[in-house]
Amino acid sequence: MLNSTQSWAIVNGTVITLEIALVAIVFGAVFGVIVALGRISKNKIANSLSWFYVWFFRGTPLLLQLFMIFYAVPIMYLNATGTTFEVDPMVCAFITFSLNSTAYLAEIIRAAIESIDHGQMEAAKALGMNYRQAMQKIIIPQTFKRLVAPIGNELIMLLKDTSLVSTIALFDLLRTVKTMASATGNWVYYLYAAAIYLFLTTILQVIFDKMEVKLGVYEKR
Amino acid sequence: METTEKVLVDKNQTQGADTMVKVVNVKKCFGDLEVLRNINFEVKRGEVVCIIGPSGSGKSTMLRCLNQLERITDGEIYIEDELMDKRKNDKTVTRIDADRLQNLRCDLGMVFQNFNLFPHLTVLDNVVIAPTVVRKAKGDAIRQRALELLEMVGLKDKANEYPVRLSGGQQQRVAIARALAMDPRIMLFDEPTSALDPELVGEVLGTMKQLANEGMTMIIVTHEIGFAREVADRVIFMDDGVICEEGTPDQVILHPQEERTKSFLNKIL
Repeated sequence: MLNSTQSWAIVNGTVITLEIALVAIVFGAVFGVIVALGRISKNKIANSLSWFYVWFFRGTPLLLQLFMIFYAVPIMYLNATGTTFEVDPMVCAFITFSLNSTAYLAEIIRAAIESIDHGQMEAAKALGMNYRQAMQKIIIPQTFKRLVAPIGNELIMLLKDTSLVSTIALFDLLRTVKTMASATGNWVYYLYAAAIYLFLTTILQVIFDKMEVKLGVYEKR
Repeated sequence: METTEKVLVDKNQTQGADTMVKVVNVKKCFGDLEVLRNINFEVKRGEVVCIIGPSGSGKSTMLRCLNQLERITDGEIYIEDELMDKRKNDKTVTRIDADRLQNLRCDLGMVFQNFNLFPHLTVLDNVVIAPTVVRKAKGDAIRQRALELLEMVGLKDKANEYPVRLSGGQQQRVAIARALAMDPRIMLFDEPTSALDPELVGEVLGTMKQLANEGMTMIIVTHEIGFAREVADRVIFMDDGVICEEGTPDQVILHPQEERTKSFLNKIL
């Protein structure tokens, strides 16, 4: 069984995993809305900037992006200014995962907005609302229910992808148990990690199922 | 009629311009397809005008051009003698200030074929939302007015239901109340009964008739010839993007002069 040091290490690893996933999903949702609006905007600059953003962050490996932020950016900074700065791996993880999930969530949000019947925008405009008012009060609220399932999906993926941070000197859940396993030669630690991942994703799944029902209440006949 | 209290129609709108809508030389093209060719007409205060005609004749497009859901290619549109749109070759000639344009759009209430109620809002909130968002109306006064409007269309007891739980006819009556909540001076109806089961058509036409009796200026695109005969002051027959014939219901529906009008009426009567 686990001794107290090991237990605490696993708790700390789990906290790091959770923190990164939650920060990424929150920032991803906020910036995802902005990028999504850019994608559907008629403004050419906003449109191509957001297209480019999604193209880059979906089209390159998350691990590569992590290395770029953690290793490449400080060197670029050093070459440009001649000074160094302290790199906090946790901050790098927050930034990378947020940037990456923004790209995925932007596409999810864009698809949800575009799935709303065009008549809704027309009705809002006919009632005198401008584009912003119509988006804010009519279109975007109707996407919430449709967003729950794919965002839940994204959050679960994120939670598991956080294991990549072991490469930038962070002890997340997976790295913690791997260290224990190789130090003791006992494979059972992997089972503990699997159980914790499953426990966390189960909670997420239950919460998101409930949210979907709650947000879709107006669709019940 | 003047002595009964007007509830659906805003009480302040008996003064102002006499010509509510004026359409001058309007053309509308979708790419190479010319849907409206040189349309001219006027609608006077309190007049009920029904536009009839075969599918694809441009009647819905004409209506949608009035509140700029479609932009005209050429021509001018005036609402209450105020210029709302003037365009040449798909370019705006006279730019209208955005606030003024929004005000003019608020003067035009619109009812759609597919109702387009906001499904995520209750019936009451559907009626309240536009005045709240656009006019920044607050509190009990607007809710009170909304309930009054819902009572007039016979749906006060459904105020807290979501639209999905209403029949098509009920949804369309809510849509009428929703449009009226902005106190429009002109109501546009785009085939308001075409998506309804036959037994539900009557209740919507009844509400529209009541509105007409209260003196609302109305432009109605419809296939309900019987209703047009009964309610319209004037009937416009459109075919292939032009106004073929217009006049009183008697003239156009009972004694049409144009061949195209005759053959259309023969087909549907």
